[in-house]
Amino acid sequence: MQDDHQKPRQELPKKGLSRRGFLKGAGLTTAGTVILQGGILGAEAAAVDKTLGPDAVTIQLKVNGIQRKIAVEPRITLADALRDKLNLTGTKVVCDRGSCCACTVWLNGKPVNSCMTLAMDATDAEVVTIEGLAQEDKLHPVQEAFIDHDATMCGFCTPGMVMTTAHLLENKPNANLDDIKHAIRGNACRCGTHPKVFDAALAAVQKMKKS
Amino acid sequence: MNKFKWFNAQNIEEALERTNATVSDAINRGSADSAIIKSGGIELLDFIKEGIIEPAEIINIKSIPGLEGIAFDRTAGLRIGANTTLADIENNGDIKLQYLALHQAVSKAATPQLRNVSTLGGNIAQRTRCWYFRSIDHPCFRKGGTTCFAQNGENQMHAIMNNGTCCSVHASSVATALLAYGATVEITSRGGQKKDVSIDDFFVNPFTDIRRESVLRRGEIITAVNIPAQGKNVKSWYIKQGERASFDWALADVAVVVELSGKRVRKAAIAMGAASPVPVRSKAAEEFITGKDINATTAAEAGQKAMENATPLAKNGYKVDLFKTIVKRALLESV
Amino acid sequence: MDKKTLIMPFGIPGHNLTQIEREVPADEPPAWPVNAELKEVGKSVKRVDARAKVTGQAKYTSDIQLPGMLYGKMLRSPYPHARIRNIDTRQVERHPGVLAVHILGKDISMAGSKDESADNYPEVKYIGQPIVGVAALNDNTAIEALKLVKIDYEVLPFVVDLEKARMEGAPLVFEAPVEKEASDGGEEIEKGLSLSGNVRGPSRGQPRGDTQKGFAESDIVIERTYVTQVHMHNPLETHGVVVDWKPDGMLIYASTQSTKGVRDEFAQLFGFRKSQVRVITEYMGGGFGAKYGAGNFGVMAGHLSRKSGRPVRLMLDRKEEQLTAGFRPNSVHQLKIGAKKDGKLSAIQQRSYGTAGVGLGAGVGSIAQNMYECPNFATEQYDIFTHFSPGAAWRAPGAVQGAFGLESLIDEIAESLNIDPLKYRDIIDKSEVRKVERQKGAELFGWSKRKKAGSDPGPVKKGMGLAQSSWPRFTHLDSTAEVRLFRDGAVEVRSGVQDLGTGTKTILAQVVAEELGLKTEDITVRIGDTLFPDGPPSGGSVTAGSITPAARNAAYQAKLKLFRQIASKLDTTPDKLMTADGKIYVTGEPSKNISFADALKQMRTEQLTAEASRSDDYGGMSRDDLGSVQFAEVTVDTETGFVKVDRIVAAHSCGRPLNIAQIESQINGGIIHGISYALYESRVIDDQTGQMINVNFDQYKIPYAFEIPDIRTIILEEYPAKSSTDAYGIGEPANIATAVAVTNAIYNAIGVRIFELPVTPAKILDALKRA
Repeated sequence: MQDDHQKPRQELPKKGLSRRGFLKGAGLTTAGTVILQGGILGAEAAAVDKTLGPDAVTIQLKVNGIQRKIAVEPRITLADALRDKLNLTGTKVVCDRGSCCACTVWLNGKPVNSCMTLAMDATDAEVVTIEGLAQEDKLHPVQEAFIDHDATMCGFCTPGMVMTTAHLLENKPNANLDDIKHAIRGNACRCGTHPKVFDAALAAVQKMKKS
Repeated sequence: MNKFKWFNAQNIEEALERTNATVSDAINRGSADSAIIKSGGIELLDFIKEGIIEPAEIINIKSIPGLEGIAFDRTAGLRIGANTTLADIENNGDIKLQYLALHQAVSKAATPQLRNVSTLGGNIAQRTRCWYFRSIDHPCFRKGGTTCFAQNGENQMHAIMNNGTCCSVHASSVATALLAYGATVEITSRGGQKKDVSIDDFFVNPFTDIRRESVLRRGEIITAVNIPAQGKNVKSWYIKQGERASFDWALADVAVVVELSGKRVRKAAIAMGAASPVPVRSKAAEEFITGKDINATTAAEAGQKAMENATPLAKNGYKVDLFKTIVKRALLESV
Repeated sequence: MDKKTLIMPFGIPGHNLTQIEREVPADEPPAWPVNAELKEVGKSVKRVDARAKVTGQAKYTSDIQLPGMLYGKMLRSPYPHARIRNIDTRQVERHPGVLAVHILGKDISMAGSKDESADNYPEVKYIGQPIVGVAALNDNTAIEALKLVKIDYEVLPFVVDLEKARMEGAPLVFEAPVEKEASDGGEEIEKGLSLSGNVRGPSRGQPRGDTQKGFAESDIVIERTYVTQVHMHNPLETHGVVVDWKPDGMLIYASTQSTKGVRDEFAQLFGFRKSQVRVITEYMGGGFGAKYGAGNFGVMAGHLSRKSGRPVRLMLDRKEEQLTAGFRPNSVHQLKIGAKKDGKLSAIQQRSYGTAGVGLGAGVGSIAQNMYECPNFATEQYDIFTHFSPGAAWRAPGAVQGAFGLESLIDEIAESLNIDPLKYRDIIDKSEVRKVERQKGAELFGWSKRKKAGSDPGPVKKGMGLAQSSWPRFTHLDSTAEVRLFRDGAVEVRSGVQDLGTGTKTILAQVVAEELGLKTEDITVRIGDTLFPDGPPSGGSVTAGSITPAARNAAYQAKLKLFRQIASKLDTTPDKLMTADGKIYVTGEPSKNISFADALKQMRTEQLTAEASRSDDYGGMSRDDLGSVQFAEVTVDTETGFVKVDRIVAAHSCGRPLNIAQIESQINGGIIHGISYALYESRVIDDQTGQMINVNFDQYKIPYAFEIPDIRTIILEEYPAKSSTDAYGIGEPANIATAVAVTNAIYNAIGVRIFELPVTPAKILDALKRA
């Protein structure tokens, strides 16, 4: 998404930069300064108005292992930030209300609906998207199993299905069919891949045991 | 979504200082200048995405340290911080062991992805899922309008009791379990005062105040939910029936907590969600089952009693049968 | 045209396989043997685009970002019926983030008019009808900007309820008779029918015999009324386009089932030649029948792009998708069937009505006309107009509604005659294919264990049911593919045809690989682009049967050209050459060979291309149908009314199966759609406001993991000897029988019949109380 009609962006301090230095550098004129996580903020800044936005704010987050800096209005969802700012369009927005899980990404290691997560809530977080699941050219066993078991059709639910399934298997190597159904119970598919997603997930369990 | 400002609160005090509206206030009084508290944010984003509210500022309380966590003590009972995610409650071993119906209710709420984000405070403070209330195109009583569309409209999911004013049902199935356990909601207000509100008093009926579903007012937040310790002979069970098994809102859900003396019921709490505009306990069913053994006959009779005051609407009569059955089954399963 | 004769496999292996002589055009390739003797075709070859899909690399229309691209959004009517007095766009024109504003023309459903004056807006006829569009720098700005548009409406009386719309004095949707161009989705819409009030029709299909006489001669006559709901498509990718208008032509990315259909409409609407309009659909997120043509959103995007001079992306959001992007019409289907004591059908008479909103196509199809032998048949099918957005073809349009009635009533007649429903179909069904499917399916399913209706003890009861389907062997002859050989070893197949997720790319690679003696992974598939030769629209289950013969034929022609160039290098003549296992051999002298890759290196030119089209069906147009038989087992909780489908066995045929895994997946999809239609999905309209109120995935209930039963498929190999691949589609047939197999199983469980879909707990409890 283009921001070229927006007002100048507010900048956030880089990690490691001292707060005092940052405030100086920013001229202390705008109200838009912030510290990102609870506990970081020192007493010295307590008097500063920490309100951000509504125009674009620069935040940092680690996406697929790479530290990124993006300018987002506070209203921008993580899904839109990934798709429009970082061109990571593998994450799909389908229902836009947290009811289909096509937008599932890992946020600090947990699968969440990126359409119902504001990008601000991913500040300083680690995000893994479908583009970041494979290690270089080596696909995740779940990705391989989806290919081997024809678990994709139109492919629009696939990124969410894969991210959800891969998270389950990373955390529950002995997952059975019931575990798989519980894990993907929120993932919608309209083409009818569910039966083959079950097959693929069970095959991936075996594959991951061997490796 | 409309443009809004963002504020990361570092402590409860500053969050309460800044906020000037609950979601319900914003819906009823207009949201143009509203500064609204957000925890998990699912519910709030839903309203903003629908265009029902357009807040000026979001106050993020996820950033407040210490608002999450689960503490269990055999005598003091259970304390769950308001920012605790449903996933953390679901995965807590003590809760699974000591408060089975709560564990069951939480694991059936929403989807795993949502449970990773949704918090307990947000879950019980959420508003009804009535499709008229959630539609920007239907100005119903609860949104400051002059009618209840569901009374003469599509009321198949709606309340079968206490449904004369607004027939919506509360959305939280977790609340059904909390009600059965006699939980209290800890509310903190400006200036740091805390009060414990019994869960029976936490929810507000539409005939009391149509504009809100809980006693929570602006300048207040839920900081924790406490549940008393349960005796050794206490058994519980929770059943939820939605249209789908995978994930769904409840058409009917029931939590029972019974204290046994031998085989006999000494004390019973039978809570029903999606029956009435707020979660309700069935005194009639509780009184009936108290002092009796739970068996197929008494459980069925309790189910009948639970529904004796039902006033179903044109399209939701089936829910009466549904409740009769799941009250019965929950009682049978509990022992 | 020169002809030659082919000896082709004909029939069902293991049952009645034989050979048949077909006179075919001289340039058709030789006949393939049955699948067992092929290397690539008929195997579960991995999807060629699966890797792109599992890594998030596949780019769909909604992922396209063009330099300078704007975001389009439309302001839509909040009223089901209103006259527009005035449209004021002055404020929005001044919005700094808005680069173009457009008011759609008078005929909004087609949106062809170029005149933008408000006078051309006498009426809007449905909620969500688009009126004004803006193109802005981002999505949120576009949404904000639309709030600045002021429209003055005169609200008019409306009708959204099917029964109310039929009544005398109901608010009229149209004043004069209307027609609709047939869509590419397999709907048949008769032209020139009369309009009385909101009632259009009847369409009388192809009647035969004398039904009155037939009923008079019957030993048993049963008449029932079956009701079905409105069913939304809800492809995960919504409808939408990216349009880049330039003075000399247009580039359009579209989520469509027909690239050429979109091209043709845009060319016509924007005054371009077809060659100036390029439509690309590399990946698309599902359609199920609803995605044809430019759409009013596409037309709007075109105008906005033309006005702003920048590319415009306009994707519907989920609410817009549900409100305006099509649905399967509902139906009230009165069906009367007469039979003799021996079971033979003597008469079928049906009368149906349903509503596709302001659109047409609310019939119950021709399944009652075609599936069973019956000398006397008559039908009357009416469309009822209501103030709702137009319906659209939806996977086996008409047939799904029709089958619910037909297969329910056939079961009931069988029961009255005290004949097992499986055996009864042996008596009345002449299809050999379905006969074999019944045998194989019943065995795998365990039909013999079926109990008497309602005989399960206890409150939770199990039941078994079956139902059959029939779908014509539709093909689209204007289907062309090109095969290119490159000196560097690349082999490409190209066509404008699109892959909806059904696996079209993969089967194209398979047939080309088979023809050239290569592996599927050796073939590059480039499709979904109108720069390539026209492919078929993907509707009516035509794709596989239309484009794979073209692709095979193109590969064959390319091969012959290559043979002519390299024959001398193997000291032979072109007619002696053959391909296999990545090599080109001299027939009968296997030691004389050259690898395919080396042969390509020796081509005279860098590229060699050949193009071919789908020829007419060998032996004349196919008259028999694609049939299936599906078996369902359900559990019904008679105390709560909830139904769960435990397992399905589906026996299907689609000519020569090209890719077993993909056919299974398609069948799974059809079954899951059918289960959801039987039990869960239904559009809910509030009659007070005319609004659809379950417009989201929260309240519109599609199935998820725990709603999916155990599914076993039987894919019958069947050779009708109709084309060079002899393949047919499976999309539609997979979806027709499921819902009624489920309801027949529900009857078997509880001993009470349900005549209305979806079968909700309320309906089960109600039926049990009445019984």
